[in-house]
Amino acid sequence: MRPRKVLRIARWEVSRSAGGLDRRSLAYALVALLLVAGVAPFAVDGGLYDSLYVVGVDEESGYHDAVERSETLRAVEPSEEAFSSGRLDVLVTDGVRAADTGKGRAAVSELRDAVRAYNADLLDGYDTAYPVSVDLRYVDRGTAVSADDASESVSGGSSGGDGTEGGTDGGTDVEASGEEDGFSFPSGGLDGVLGQGGRAGTPGGITPPFPFSSLVLAFAFLVPLNFVIQAYSTSIMNERIDRRGVLTLASPVSRYEIVAGKTVPYFAIALGTVAVVAVAVSGGVASVVAVAPVAFVFLALTFVGSMFARSYKELTFVTVFVSVSVTSYVFVPAVFTDVDPIAAISPLSIVVRDLQGATAPVSWYLFSGAPLVFSSAVLFSLGAGVYREEDMFTQRPVRLKALDALVSWLHRRASVAKVSVLLIPFVFVAQLLVVAVVFALPVGISVPLLLVVAAVVEETAKSMAVYAGFVSSVFERTTPNAVVLGALSGVGFFVGEKAAHLAQVVGLDRLEVGRAALGIASDASPLVLAVLLVAPLVLHTVTTCIASVGASYGKREFGVGLSAAVAVHVAYNLAVVSLVA
Amino acid sequence: MIEVRDLRKEYAGHVAVSGSTFEVEPGEVFGVVGPNGAGKTTTLKTVAGLVEPTEGEVRVAGGDPTEAETRRSLGYLPEESPLYEEMTALSYLRFFADLYDVPRGVADERIHDTLDRLELDRRETRTGDMSKGMKRKVAVARSLVNDPDVLVYDEPASGLDPLTTNYVVEFVRELADEGKTVVFSAHNLYHVERVCDRVVIMNEGDIVARGTLEEIRDEHGGVEYTVETTVEVEGATEEGGGYRTTVEDMDGVERVREEARENGGEVVDIRTREPSLEDIFLDVAEAT
Repeated sequence: MRPRKVLRIARWEVSRSAGGLDRRSLAYALVALLLVAGVAPFAVDGGLYDSLYVVGVDEESGYHDAVERSETLRAVEPSEEAFSSGRLDVLVTDGVRAADTGKGRAAVSELRDAVRAYNADLLDGYDTAYPVSVDLRYVDRGTAVSADDASESVSGGSSGGDGTEGGTDGGTDVEASGEEDGFSFPSGGLDGVLGQGGRAGTPGGITPPFPFSSLVLAFAFLVPLNFVIQAYSTSIMNERIDRRGVLTLASPVSRYEIVAGKTVPYFAIALGTVAVVAVAVSGGVASVVAVAPVAFVFLALTFVGSMFARSYKELTFVTVFVSVSVTSYVFVPAVFTDVDPIAAISPLSIVVRDLQGATAPVSWYLFSGAPLVFSSAVLFSLGAGVYREEDMFTQRPVRLKALDALVSWLHRRASVAKVSVLLIPFVFVAQLLVVAVVFALPVGISVPLLLVVAAVVEETAKSMAVYAGFVSSVFERTTPNAVVLGALSGVGFFVGEKAAHLAQVVGLDRLEVGRAALGIASDASPLVLAVLLVAPLVLHTVTTCIASVGASYGKREFGVGLSAAVAVHVAYNLAVVSLVA
Repeated sequence: MIEVRDLRKEYAGHVAVSGSTFEVEPGEVFGVVGPNGAGKTTTLKTVAGLVEPTEGEVRVAGGDPTEAETRRSLGYLPEESPLYEEMTALSYLRFFADLYDVPRGVADERIHDTLDRLELDRRETRTGDMSKGMKRKVAVARSLVNDPDVLVYDEPASGLDPLTTNYVVEFVRELADEGKTVVFSAHNLYHVERVCDRVVIMNEGDIVARGTLEEIRDEHGGVEYTVETTVEVEGATEEGGGYRTTVEDMDGVERVREEARENGGEVVDIRTREPSLEDIFLDVAEAT
């Protein structure tokens, strides 16, 4: 590939696209920019929380300072009329009363957290001043507040002390009970209230604590990418409509240079936008580096989809699919940043950590980014395989185009091994996606489900190239040939799979589903490990041979063969899990 | 200049071209004719390097046209004029000149010269706002931005009005006179007769006839004689007060003369007529 040619096409793509930009596209882009520039800084400043709940509390009340210090609570003059009319979420007078709404219950929860935080700060200062150890425990006062029955109230606090009276010198532990603590809160009673309809509160108050603000900001990185892929998909589709791209193909540039040239501007725009968002939300270079693979996979999936789509209608489906699937893939695991190793799957977790002021280890970049980068490279290669005159202007069904794309990689029998290796990133990403989706389920459900899905994904990946080769007559349809092709594909997959086992680096093996998905068994005996090293080779070879023999007979037989291969694979997976457990 | 040997191209099991072999000499205008689905366009795309042969070999100026560098000496004009409609004619042509590494100064001079010859004045107009004939002229100009030695023109006059068609066909002849090698396909066989030095006739993926027009005429039909008589003879049709009979050789002419004399009449006119390429094409197509 010649960089000069690529840049030339890239420059042309920019000028051409700029010339063809209509008012509607400009309006969309403007909306996206306003969304990012307007919402993100608001969110990063805590704007999402600001004055979320209104608390009627007197300035003389012991609760007042706690409410004032809270970002989510706003203190106003207490008023029975305002409380009755719903303008107050919580009213603090001689007790604490919450509005009989979800927001009211959440406000009480937030008030409780605010009081606790306030108490902790006070005791922290006390701790600094005196050499004492402070153990703060909240105990049930035996009096419940009922949000359902707002007439019941909790006393204590309005005239309480400063929370330090229970302390003594000389290293005596201080126990701040609800009885003694002026800002104590009857947690048992409130928990009882909140427990009635399930937990309520702000996302930030959920245990374990989800990095809500950072997540929202991290999501802002994804918004502009959706607009970029719209423009990119249209550009690719324009090459295919009315055969416009044929003359570029007839010129002295390779299709890879054309594809690269057409993609570079959109990748640059995506990165540029990501950088702007990073600046807007006070993110760093880490955020930009982390999101780069996401932008790459957005474009790669869009490119392949645009090459396979037969109309703008199908293209719309493609872009929606890309947007939803990639967003889900990167966003869901990021929810568990700082909570669970599953977060390491997503580059967005690095962004979340960056926005929290924390640093993600390099292994996170590799683990979350490398599969996406490799998958994207393979996708571009796959799409470029059909970026040629005889494929890109036809109306062949998507299934056949996908097979054509695979066939473009097949030159001789050994090619199926190469294809199996190339498809490893997809398998890896697919399995990580499933892990992300099912890991919250009970292990009894998630692990068997994962074992089945993993078998389906792997067997499909191993046998598709063989099937494509038979369909396109690249390979002769004989049983011995099918066995050889199956064995080659199986060996290729085994090699690729072993090379891709980076999961242990980030500790995904600590997850039950992680071990099930990735075959990690670090605590097994050496003999078991030795068997487990060789057994997958036998498994992949045998199962791919089964599917390949089916493929050599036709489509229906391929389905039967693939099903049989999946069944064998599932049985193997269950046996391994039983052996290792 | 162009060598095509045992060219075979299959699309998803369908044979588009089966074993074609031909050569085109430098400076020659070579016609590829045949009905729809005969394999003409596939043959031309293969020569232009757009399609890889399933079997066989294609060489253009000694190189493989599927290699990007070989395409530097090629100018391809597809059947349609698929232009980037948001670009002006000038920017469109400059972009392609750039792809062919033609220096900007040279490119501009060449582009304006070609557009002058094609009498296209609206150079800053977006191609999407142009008429079909104007778009075709831009497409022709695009095929010449790199001053190629070999031109591959697929139906260059397709869908154009008679005036523009005539203009484009004449232009192709001029290009050949300037020393360019042209491979040319057309449905309108009259155009092929006007500009082509040699021709292959294709049908269902096969070359069914080849050679100069004279050679093909000799092989498929030769000269016809139309004999006009004052009286009716066997096989005659009445036209303009006389009777005309078409025969294939001089024996036929003598037979008509004898019969007319026997019927009390005489021969008043004898005209010779060479079969057109269309006649030969129909004859060949029926035979295959």
